[in-house]
Amino acid sequence: MSKLLFANPDKCTGCNRCAYVCSAVKTGRFAPSVARLRINNYAHQGYAAPSICFQCPKAHCMEACPAGAYSRNEDGVVVIDQELCQSCGACVAACPYGMVEMDAKLLAYKCDHCGGDPACVKECAPGALVYQESSKDLLKLKAKQMKQRSLEGTPAAKRDKLGRALLIEARGESG
Amino acid sequence: MNLYTGKMLVVDLSDQTVTTQPLKQEWIRQYWGSWGLALRYYSDMVDPMVDPLAAENPIVIMTGPFTGTLVPLTGRLALVSKSPHTGTIFESNVGGAFGPELKYAGYDGLIIKGASKTPVYLKIVDDQVSLEDATHLVGKGIFESEQAMEHAVGDVEAKCLAIGPAGEKLSTYSIIGSDSYRQFGRGGTGALFGSKNLKGVVCRGTGSVDVADMKTFIDRISYHKHNNLFTEDNLWAQSDGTAVLVDATNEMGIHPTKNYSAGVYRKKDQLNSDAIKEAKLSDRACASCPLACGKFTRVGDVEVEGPEYETLCLGGSNCDVDDLEAVIRFNRICDDLGLDTMSCASTISMAMEMTESGRHDFGLRFGDAEEYLVVLDEIAQLSTERGRDLAMGAKRLAKKYDSADMSMEVKGLEMPAYEPRGNYGMGLAYATSERGACHLRAFPLDTENPFDVTPLAQEVVDMQNFNGIKWSMCYCDFWGSIDTKITAELLSAGLGEPVTADELDQAGERVWNLSRLFNLKAGLTINDDSLPEKILKQPLKDGPNAGKVFCADDFAVALQTYYKLRGWDENGVPSQAKLSELGLEQL
Repeated sequence: MSKLLFANPDKCTGCNRCAYVCSAVKTGRFAPSVARLRINNYAHQGYAAPSICFQCPKAHCMEACPAGAYSRNEDGVVVIDQELCQSCGACVAACPYGMVEMDAKLLAYKCDHCGGDPACVKECAPGALVYQESSKDLLKLKAKQMKQRSLEGTPAAKRDKLGRALLIEARGESG
Repeated sequence: MNLYTGKMLVVDLSDQTVTTQPLKQEWIRQYWGSWGLALRYYSDMVDPMVDPLAAENPIVIMTGPFTGTLVPLTGRLALVSKSPHTGTIFESNVGGAFGPELKYAGYDGLIIKGASKTPVYLKIVDDQVSLEDATHLVGKGIFESEQAMEHAVGDVEAKCLAIGPAGEKLSTYSIIGSDSYRQFGRGGTGALFGSKNLKGVVCRGTGSVDVADMKTFIDRISYHKHNNLFTEDNLWAQSDGTAVLVDATNEMGIHPTKNYSAGVYRKKDQLNSDAIKEAKLSDRACASCPLACGKFTRVGDVEVEGPEYETLCLGGSNCDVDDLEAVIRFNRICDDLGLDTMSCASTISMAMEMTESGRHDFGLRFGDAEEYLVVLDEIAQLSTERGRDLAMGAKRLAKKYDSADMSMEVKGLEMPAYEPRGNYGMGLAYATSERGACHLRAFPLDTENPFDVTPLAQEVVDMQNFNGIKWSMCYCDFWGSIDTKITAELLSAGLGEPVTADELDQAGERVWNLSRLFNLKAGLTINDDSLPEKILKQPLKDGPNAGKVFCADDFAVALQTYYKLRGWDENGVPSQAKLSELGLEQL
């Protein structure tokens, strides 16, 4: 069975090191705003929740792409071939979690698990990100997060919606 | 440019203009960043005799070379100006995530000059920078102000600096808050913004920080993180946070209790790290920090990130308040109103002693948690006579009521929570810190003999010099085992040019001496390198140091030893030889 990336918001401290290292590995610069995973950080409530690509079994990004730039590799990871991207933005709009965006050249990018050795996981000291074979508990955690889908809004707004929903679930409405 | 953006943002509030200027290249390898570089910029712009709250007093806010990178514990930001609380040169630094955000927006630092006629806030979204009307935020607390500014930018990832009512009312121990519970603390940073009619700064940055050799940079960071950072010296921050010091200082007999009358607190278990763990909801980190010393707590219906050790002691045992819920509430109210928890708690404990001894009745008594919470709003809003009295801080309160014997401050800055009668090195550190009684310049708690002043003087000098460069790199205090050798290695990889530990060591000493020169020009003398009367004369009660004082003769020996080790004369004035050695002779 292949490994998957899981996020556990209860362990996330909001340090953002995952996003720092992701941008460094993927773009050669420290630029967390173009990282392939993002941290929704709610300092006032003392809570943070990672937004990660779930590599959805029914991948909206892949389905939306008119150019056939998307495919699923042997590990089940949804990957994009930027050579084929036509910059239409359909995948960005389609992703319910805000995990596909366009770079400065208007080419879509997303998480590819670093080819099976995700840099973010190695940088996550509190263990909020894990890369392993799925278990019942991890799948439950993932299913709970995948329920927080947004059909419209910017990628940032979609991520924020997921983060706030998890915050309320963890701490109650007053959080 | 590698590690730096190469740009400073300059805001003139008097004529409402915003410009950028290139970073002064010739200063980088002399001062490096953060404290050092901000100090150099500030010194260049101001007459040291300036009134801290005048429009002519600028504020310089600087990131460090590692801010916004993967070098751990460097996501901080320093502020340098002249303090309205102490009249000295002043540096404070804040965690959270504003520092990296400013750098991603494209600026190494921010210079704020002049004063606005009407309330404004500064809005920075990458290269779009504007001054916005803040009339609707006047009187609002820090929490609401941050939220409103973030909304105005329309991006949840925007970061803020904001003042509350205390800063607006120019309280000299008001603070600037960020991420709700983090502060540019001590010294009245809130009043500096307030005097300029600047309610806050909101920033969103989507740019990057570049390095010369990313692979080597990340490899070396990873190596030092595992072999140096993740070791016993530092892991207490992860497991316990600063509350670990409650038990440690009680064991050493240096835990200030009832306005520094005793060195141990018999009810400490209600406020120690076990109590914090019991109340903890989550661990919280500043940007780039894998340790996450922040403990987010809830008791009853009140939440806060913290309380940190200084607040647990000064707002707890030192006021004889043993109820964690009350201390959490105290912490949260101060954070929102914009009051420095340390100075505020210390001034309250002084008022408690004055009330109980019959000196003056403030209606505040040791152990009365209800009243100590009520008075906070009066202090921030200056709404009652006792509120206006306490807002002055310990030094001016002592002057008004002839109570220097109960006032616990140096150069006007209220003392941190480590009792100098049980560690003379801490006393010397407080007396010689450029910003008044401060534990972040030298912290010789691990010393062999806490009463042997000669080796302690050397330790204090070494620690101050090291912190001169440590803070200039924007490292957090809690990377206790970081050194200039590792720093030089990381700088070399990041900049793509060789940097040596020796030049960093010298830069630290340069920062310290430049601060000293400023204070001398601002009118401070040897008489300001002093300790409170209580420390010199009144025997400490309880615990292993019961009966101890740090008598004036011992203190004088310690101070003269210190001056000599520094290459300063008997009045604490740096010699020409020392200044030439550091390249400061022109200043």
